[in-house]
Amino acid sequence: MDSSSSTPDKIRLSVSNHQAHVWNVPDIARLRSEHRICGLLGGTLPHLAQQNVFLGVPLILMPEEVVLLVQNEVAVLVDDANAHDTPGPEEKQLWEDQRATMIQKQLVQKAKAKEDEGISPNNKSTSEAAIRKRQERELKKAAAAAAQKAKQESGDADLSVFNTEATSSGDPAVESGRETPSSKGPSQPYAITIPTSSNSVSWYHSDAHAFSTLDAARESGIWLYPSNEEERARCGVFRALWEKDYYLGNGIKFGGEYLVYPGDPLRYHSHFVATVHISPENPLRPMEIVAHGRLGTATKKAHLICTWDDKTSSVDILSIEWSGFG
Amino acid sequence: MENHVSFPALASLAKTYPQAASSLFATYNDLQHAQRWEDLTVVDLPECKRGALKGRRPNSKDTLFVLPCSMSEPLSTSWLSNALKELDEPDGIYLAISTEDSSIVYYRISRGFAKPSL
Repeated sequence: MDSSSSTPDKIRLSVSNHQAHVWNVPDIARLRSEHRICGLLGGTLPHLAQQNVFLGVPLILMPEEVVLLVQNEVAVLVDDANAHDTPGPEEKQLWEDQRATMIQKQLVQKAKAKEDEGISPNNKSTSEAAIRKRQERELKKAAAAAAQKAKQESGDADLSVFNTEATSSGDPAVESGRETPSSKGPSQPYAITIPTSSNSVSWYHSDAHAFSTLDAARESGIWLYPSNEEERARCGVFRALWEKDYYLGNGIKFGGEYLVYPGDPLRYHSHFVATVHISPENPLRPMEIVAHGRLGTATKKAHLICTWDDKTSSVDILSIEWSGFG
Repeated sequence: MENHVSFPALASLAKTYPQAASSLFATYNDLQHAQRWEDLTVVDLPECKRGALKGRRPNSKDTLFVLPCSMSEPLSTSWLSNALKELDEPDGIYLAISTEDSSIVYYRISRGFAKPSL
């Protein structure tokens, strides 16, 4: 745990199983507009299995994006699982009370809405004819109930919930003849909202489980990237491209690691597709040059081979384009 | 190869860098006779251990550099970077990749971010 991490301005990245998520919408906007980090929205609705176009929170970040943000001191890594403490009895009670209030509010609102529409809270129409008919029915019921009560000696449990029209002989339920809405329990359906972010939950303490450096996070085991030369190369290349003011996205649709945009991806097509080369001496097959060069040119982009030099911690960029002749 | 009309121009480089001789030979002939380049000459690149070619495309004033290699050889980005350096940082060089059936494909390699073509 890092005590210097509670700067209110830093964006919290919820880390779960070595993947970083952003649940807070203003933070997502800040990451994009202030820091040129776009990430990918991953939230879908449970019943729509194949949502590809319109996704919601959480924003999922590439590990290279996370490393850059933490190194730039823009974000902290939160050990999300441990940041949720076990709620004590008071906190639980508060939670239940809040929920009960929410439900009650919904029921009141629904009742009011129905009244406005001319329907009583118990789903009965308030027109005159309907009222008359209802009264007649209730009189009949009361008469039948009184007759049955006279037959039965013992008073069974007042199962007034079961307001049957005709009582059969084998039915042990004794009708009260009166509708008591409160003893029925809520007759309207209500919605329970599951909050997207845990910030409103009183036993969630992100500050106490936030790490502001990669080393601290690595020690605690929640974030290990980069852990080898290849991952370092990717971080280095990502940063080098980012520092040139580009926006970067995932390059899989164009056969590379990253797509390099001159501006916000919502506004621009990418000019380049970048691949990461782990070291300057790493063998590069001519066929790769042909494949990357042709695909880039066919999609109106140039391909960038970005080589990371672990010894000098620097990035060398070469562009590949089809010559146009041959 | 030795009896071919093109050979005298390439003789010394073919001798110095025998492994690169066949791709140099194929590329020279392609540029000279098929692509019809003009003022085609050879350039010695000792750092890259091979010869390169220099010339102009038909109806063009710009001198371009061509670096031949074979589809089956492993290259590296440091090798490409050194070639650019040795040729004194031109805007770009053309890597000529020759294959066993004599096809040659040319790709432009430049340092940094290529300017988008119009």
